[in-house]
Amino acid sequence: MRKNFLKFSVKDSLFTGLIALALFGPIVGLRTVAKNEILIVQPKWLIVILIVAVCAIGRFLINLYVFKRDQKLGNQSTIGKSIGNFLDTKGTQIAISAIIFSVIFPFLPFTDRYLMDIAIMMLTYIMLGWGLNIVIGLAGLLDLGYVAFYAVGAYSYALFAIHFGWSFWICLPLAGIFAAMFGVLLGFPVLRLRGDYLAIVTLAFGEMIRILLLNWYELTKGPDGLTGIPRPSFFGLPFKSFPDEGEQTFHTFFGLEYNPMQRIIFLYYLILVLALITNLFTIKIRKLPIGRAWEALREDEIACKSLGVNPRNTKLTAFAIGAMFGGFAGSFFATRQAFISPESFTFIESAIIVAIVVLGGMGSQTGVVLSTVFLIGLIEVFRDFESYRMIAFGGAMVLIMIFRPRGILATRKPTIILNNKD
Amino acid sequence: MNSKLLDVENLTMKFGGLLAIDDLTFSANKDQITSIIGPNGAGKTTVFNCLTGFYRATAGSMYLNKENERLNLRKFSDFRIAQNAGVARTFQNIRLFPQMSVLENMMVAQHNKLMDASGFTLLGLFNSPSFVKKEKEAMEISKYWLDIIGLTKRADDDAGDLPYGDQRKLEIVRAMCINPHLLCLDEPAAGLNAKESADLNKLLLFIKNEKKTGILLIEHDMSVVMEISDHVVVLNYGKKIFEGTSQETKKSTEVIEAYLGTDD
Repeated sequence: MRKNFLKFSVKDSLFTGLIALALFGPIVGLRTVAKNEILIVQPKWLIVILIVAVCAIGRFLINLYVFKRDQKLGNQSTIGKSIGNFLDTKGTQIAISAIIFSVIFPFLPFTDRYLMDIAIMMLTYIMLGWGLNIVIGLAGLLDLGYVAFYAVGAYSYALFAIHFGWSFWICLPLAGIFAAMFGVLLGFPVLRLRGDYLAIVTLAFGEMIRILLLNWYELTKGPDGLTGIPRPSFFGLPFKSFPDEGEQTFHTFFGLEYNPMQRIIFLYYLILVLALITNLFTIKIRKLPIGRAWEALREDEIACKSLGVNPRNTKLTAFAIGAMFGGFAGSFFATRQAFISPESFTFIESAIIVAIVVLGGMGSQTGVVLSTVFLIGLIEVFRDFESYRMIAFGGAMVLIMIFRPRGILATRKPTIILNNKD
Repeated sequence: MNSKLLDVENLTMKFGGLLAIDDLTFSANKDQITSIIGPNGAGKTTVFNCLTGFYRATAGSMYLNKENERLNLRKFSDFRIAQNAGVARTFQNIRLFPQMSVLENMMVAQHNKLMDASGFTLLGLFNSPSFVKKEKEAMEISKYWLDIIGLTKRADDDAGDLPYGDQRKLEIVRAMCINPHLLCLDEPAAGLNAKESADLNKLLLFIKNEKKTGILLIEHDMSVVMEISDHVVVLNYGKKIFEGTSQETKKSTEVIEAYLGTDD
């Protein structure tokens, strides 16, 4: 047995080396360089041999020490399972401690401008994840064009604020309403579509909005983007270092020293509140008839019809409400950046948000937070490695799928309980 | 008013060149169990799909007689049949919401009532007392039915985790939650053992006698059909070949021929 296993391991690692050679040989080994104005191929075999050796030996060691004697697949993921069980049972505690942490986060000693920016970005993604969770996680409608609503929110906020000079608190709901209208606009043609077909059409919708923004120069300034979007004010008190004559600003009103961090901290709390509202709303609506109908629709549309549930209205509300939160997040994005252009709303954004929702565990609110922290955090940690950071991103997805194939937090709690056992 | 609950007249359904139902006329009485039987492919499920709005019949008429109105079922499209006409159905291959709890399945069936009570979600968001009261009532109704099929203890488990027989029963009582006038059951006894079909018979008789709901039943299990049906309609190749009581059906030569063939 042991001998056979050794033989198998050697064979296996040689095979791994072969695959590594096939992959890295052309990619790493052959490099074109311009010499005397002609391109020549410069082989770099040493590094290829090194990579292949690392792969083969690594595989051999994994075979020996990780897979070991008992090759049952189930045993590999015991770590994943125990982490999973912990997360499943302690979901509420994790959520509460996360909220407390995020409230005191700006005042922790190690918090600096860089961390605050990342935190704000993460919260934006968490909010988008929660919004999309309504559409994908609850209603089961795979929407690959979610960024369109983010864009609609951002642009409608920017246009209202620039042209009419309305304040953030007026433009925000307007942007949400506009995004919701676009949600319905997308919802109508895709009512009869499901699964892959729905995904394709929503993807196209996302691209259409981006291309529209790119080409409608009179309104959106096309690729130049919109500049000079008003910064948010603290209920009418702007954040300015040098106030105009007789103008009250945040720091003069509260008698503080001016510090650019004040605006950042305000933005942080703003997005935290917006995200928590999204979350509370979703938790509440899940327990209402409409939320239950969304989940029923995800499970079986035909059964829904046979029980008199109107699938059209149910789907459209899911699209509209999901889009509305995307629009809110978009207006926050616009006011934070003060500059938006179609480049911020590419397909990769949609893909990241979908990844956050799916990897977090469809329908799980806490899961969205965990996967955002994990995925966005990794992208940031590996920022110095430039384009290699996408490898980390992909690697994280692969790891989650190996250890938690149904998402980080996969268990679903019933929305209503008959027998109170505990 | 007459005692007919459902009048189907000259119902015809064509799929391209295929004539699935050919000029079918039958009726179902109030407070009775009417069975539709026939060999595989006879068009039984197609009749159901026409009745419950999943297909649009090529020709013919279907009327449901309520206390004081006569509803033309052809005027209602898919989900409105359940919502407005009060025709409920179950499916040949069980269609529960497997990842939702048993109780949630029952609550979804009371969706329209609860949706109104929640003021299209707005009142519900703020826990308005009228909505909370309605929701409690809906839970009571769910509990009532779960007690009858003995699933109250498992009300908070996923419906998909129930044993097969319980899933069948759950699908039936879920359909009853919409308070139907007519309940259409598509092979409810398929895959059940002898004891489970006996339980099923009891449940169906209870629905008929206590709830005064007419039942239309497609079934292959003759022990179920013969024991509880008041009226039997036999289909073959989309045509009605016989109609009568279960005793008469047993003796009918046409029916025996359809099932066993003729010797020639």
